[in-house]
Amino acid sequence: MRRWDIFCTVVDNLGDIGTCWRLARQLADEHEARVRLWIDKLESFACLCPSVSTAAAVQHVDSIEIRRWPSDFPAVDDADADVADVVVEAFACELPATYVAAMARRGVAPVWINLEYLSAEGWVDDCHRLTSPHPRWPLKKTFFFPGFTPKTGGLLRERDLRSDRAAFDHAAQAEFWRSVNVAPRTDDELRVSLFCYDNPALPELLQCWIDGATAVHVLAAPGAATEQIARWSGIALPPGTPLCRGSLTVQALPFLSQPNYDRLLWSCDVNFVRGEDSFVRAQWAEQPFMWQIYPQTEGTHLIKLDAFLTRSLGEGDRAFNVGGGQLASSAGPPLEDGEKIGWADATKRCWHAWNDPGGEHTENMASAWQSFIANRLAIQRHGKLWANQLDQQSDLANNLAHFVQEK
Amino acid sequence: MSVKIAGDIQSGNVIMVENAPVVVLKAVYNKSGRNQAVVKVRAKNLFTGRISELIYKSDEKLEGVMLDKKDCTYSYFAPPMHVFVDSEYVEYEIEAETLADLEKYFCEDMTDVCEVTFYEGRPISVVLPKVIVREIEYTEPATRGDTSGKITKTAVLKDTKHELQVSSFVEIGDKIEIDTVTGEFKKRCN
Repeated sequence: MRRWDIFCTVVDNLGDIGTCWRLARQLADEHEARVRLWIDKLESFACLCPSVSTAAAVQHVDSIEIRRWPSDFPAVDDADADVADVVVEAFACELPATYVAAMARRGVAPVWINLEYLSAEGWVDDCHRLTSPHPRWPLKKTFFFPGFTPKTGGLLRERDLRSDRAAFDHAAQAEFWRSVNVAPRTDDELRVSLFCYDNPALPELLQCWIDGATAVHVLAAPGAATEQIARWSGIALPPGTPLCRGSLTVQALPFLSQPNYDRLLWSCDVNFVRGEDSFVRAQWAEQPFMWQIYPQTEGTHLIKLDAFLTRSLGEGDRAFNVGGGQLASSAGPPLEDGEKIGWADATKRCWHAWNDPGGEHTENMASAWQSFIANRLAIQRHGKLWANQLDQQSDLANNLAHFVQEK
Repeated sequence: MSVKIAGDIQSGNVIMVENAPVVVLKAVYNKSGRNQAVVKVRAKNLFTGRISELIYKSDEKLEGVMLDKKDCTYSYFAPPMHVFVDSEYVEYEIEAETLADLEKYFCEDMTDVCEVTFYEGRPISVVLPKVIVREIEYTEPATRGDTSGKITKTAVLKDTKHELQVSSFVEIGDKIEIDTVTGEFKKRCN
């Protein structure tokens, strides 16, 4: 049984630790790995995993050993005993210098993996599994890029995820709603999960839902989504108390466990997700979704956003305008009055409106949403095909385990 | 020895990798979204001749190698070697394979001052000036009305036939500045 050390720093959100926690469990459950997960902020992890004690320096949850990663990481005396066979530094975190020195002293150098953020950009295929020799120690680090093609490290996908999704029937859904204190859904409503960063496009979307003919029931995740709605409405939004305005009902959710968050995604008609972890889960949920990418200065995130749109939608129902240098402004040409747009264009326009409100080529959020929702069934059909296509590829944990085995 | 930041690496630089000097044949910088900036490097080991592809975080501190350098100009191509000449007309030959990423800028009447690097007396690499000027041999007619430079089109350089993207207002016969690190069009010369 190989020993793995996964190092994770919590930067400003829960996506990084969410991904590391899934990876740790999958390696242990499906690949017989003995995993230690080093985390600098146990308080953040405890939101995801309430059984975690924020006071304990060492603890076990399921079969995973959780270690607090102190800022003054101690010297490692016994390199062979205290350094794992496989060391994963997640998302550009920097390993403690004393630990790296011990890696170099180990009888057999560990397999050292730098796990990167997910991207659909083409350059990722070329950089996946390239090595980076350490400038001072006799160690090599391999860059592992999650991604959407067989040339990348793939996506996290537990062995039973898709069968669990398929088995999630009406009764299971009703039970899930009961468990989170949300009313059963009605036939004529649109149920939406909302997990987002603070978003300037949200007020316009909320107003659009208020004014619309269809009842929209929004389930808002704790944090930025709930807080922004509370600021917008001027009313505090504790979990369980619905806010009703026009056709809109908003209900704040408590923090959900990862399995329950999956069930939420499976149960809603449209899912708003953000960052990386929920973005991947939304794809496995096979429901229409809106992705808010982590915003960056100089709009670099929009290139990454368009790379995913281009890869996942392909030519869709109308060729995209994604020629050289135009990726970031590829929302397509303006439509003539009365012209209907297809599902792929609708997706692209709505994602741009959500991620780049006020952008030079961005449609207003309300109009983009109307087109998106008018194409919902076609988008859902495409989502199933896309998930099936991704399912043909090996998953991230499996790819990591096989890579380590080859060493 | 000296410190070299990975993000500053360019073709022709020599760095130490696993106790061996390697000459950088190509360096490609990638950055997007939350991903850290990385530099993909194609490099040739000066001891073994082996070519490998490596990757570094762009802020990684690497060990540069202090080498002898001499200003030269390009002279001619005698397959498989490119020949450079210094101010005293001494010729230095460097394998074309090592200069593959720069060949698109070489032509026999070029006057750019190139920095030839020597390792143990042997010429091993060349660094071009960061900005060079080349003439456009062919491109489609200019797009009317666009003076922003944001709309681009393909152009072919005179002599080398290398293709690159230029602003739409560039015309046949124009001389342009090219950034040799990124390979990108910088501006039209007046």
